[in-house]
Amino acid sequence: MANEYYEFFCPVKMVAGFKALEHIPFELSSHDASRPLIITDRGVRGVGLVDIVIKALEAADMQATDIFDDVPPDSSMITVAAIAALYREKECDSILAIGGGSVIDTAKGVNILVSEGGDDLRAYSGTGVVKRPLNPFFVIPTTAGTGSETTNVSVIKDDKTGAKVPFVSPFLLPDAAILDPRMTLSLPPKITAATGMDALTHAVESFTGLAKNPISDAYATAAMKKITTHLPEVLKNPSDAAGRLQLAEASTMAGIAFSNSMVGMVHSLGHSVGAKCHVPHGLCMSILMPHVLEFNLPVSSENIGELLLHIAGSDVYASTPVAERPAKAIATIIALKEEMYALCELPRKLSETGSVKESDLEGIARMALDDGSMLLNPIDATFEQALAVLKKAF
Amino acid sequence: MIPIKKGFEADIDYNYQRMYVSGMMQLISHMLKAGSQVDDVIKTEVADMPEGFVFRMCVMPGELSLTMQKQDGALINLTNYTDKPDLTMSFKHVTFAFLVFSFQEHTAQAYANERLVIDGDLPMSMKVVRCLNRLQTVILPKVVAKKAVKTYPDLEFIQKIQMTTKTYSQFLLNLVKER
Repeated sequence: MANEYYEFFCPVKMVAGFKALEHIPFELSSHDASRPLIITDRGVRGVGLVDIVIKALEAADMQATDIFDDVPPDSSMITVAAIAALYREKECDSILAIGGGSVIDTAKGVNILVSEGGDDLRAYSGTGVVKRPLNPFFVIPTTAGTGSETTNVSVIKDDKTGAKVPFVSPFLLPDAAILDPRMTLSLPPKITAATGMDALTHAVESFTGLAKNPISDAYATAAMKKITTHLPEVLKNPSDAAGRLQLAEASTMAGIAFSNSMVGMVHSLGHSVGAKCHVPHGLCMSILMPHVLEFNLPVSSENIGELLLHIAGSDVYASTPVAERPAKAIATIIALKEEMYALCELPRKLSETGSVKESDLEGIARMALDDGSMLLNPIDATFEQALAVLKKAF
Repeated sequence: MIPIKKGFEADIDYNYQRMYVSGMMQLISHMLKAGSQVDDVIKTEVADMPEGFVFRMCVMPGELSLTMQKQDGALINLTNYTDKPDLTMSFKHVTFAFLVFSFQEHTAQAYANERLVIDGDLPMSMKVVRCLNRLQTVILPKVVAKKAVKTYPDLEFIQKIQMTTKTYSQFLLNLVKER
């Protein structure tokens, strides 16, 4: 059942498809920008993805004013301040972020400083502190999972305290997200699988959470269908550019869904597993999702049952009695996990990651209860319940 | 009991809603103080908050508010606190606070319905919400409390009566002491 009141917001222009990168010069000039700073990381630059963008710019008589390629895996305020200084020194007028979640979050932080002024990002932390449009900002995702290109949040580590500081404002959203299959073609199978399952979790939690709404449902369900259809195909044939594009679109659509409907307990537990044991986020999502859906069944069986239509197709949905649909939906996700394991050995259990010990589970459960995403899970989990879910996933 | 029908607040003048919310904020802050002194669940949550931690629940633009601080292991009420609290939970309009304080909508649903903005320490906000949930579970009749919280916990009738008695007694004792 949908909420009696909801809000939906996504002003990000989607520039998606084959040869999407060649649209960047026009997008820059339409924002009166001609001196972009590229923000990326060494891995992305090392596999040649930045070169593809630079060539597309040069063919239109435009060039990147400079490239910062040293973004760490965890965005940090020191890095943000260093990039902002470079932006000012080189008199840049726009940002092109090429990368995954950390690069995109870092770029959002940089855009705050170079637009609002100052060197201390802490002054802008919290909700709604940034209150006016920022400089032109474009995101080119190189993974199909985080959906960060459509979220109004950036989480950046305070190097002094070690705390992860949130920045929330609609003005953090990029002016455009550029989805081009060339950007994800070189992703290794295991990362493709993990990020795809991350996007699927965004869609599933958005569809089953307390803040679901009809518009985010439309994005979520379309994303689920694309992922469950194309993820196995892309893993079987990694050079399938059309399939890669479908996954990139699905990731963005799932991002739009969850940035308006939020996520739930899969993320609460997953964030904590990641923080305590350094397991990649997408992998945590893949492992935990069916167990949390089982936990939520007592109050969400209708919504979970409806998942079946979007992840298994209309024939399976129609041939499954209503009462059996929730269990069948969960079984379908478990089957997808098994397929991921068969195709690229994506771990199915926490124990298979090699990073989580059974003795870690209590600490993970305790930490998960304080994760903000628990607020919108359909059921409030107690410590004992969270631990029980983790033990099943172990 | 009169069935609570969502939307009836539309017929109540905003001034009366404001008066009701103001009164409930006063009551809840005093009950939360009492709960932090005698209820084991609330005590455990408060124990994990840093000493001196300040949170505020308010109605925008801030005229109606309750502000509490952890001092010596328990919560106390703060008046005239002018610094930025560590955590602020702001209702966008008095009518949204009325929905929550008249137990027609629980805090999580208010957040899901975009009626509430949370600013500050998110992990602490989860502890504060659990304290509020526990308080409502203890001090309200079950039929009302089930509307006021997202998940009503397993709580034996005898246990509930004991905790209700302890919390109300401490509340009255605090009132006497403060006079």
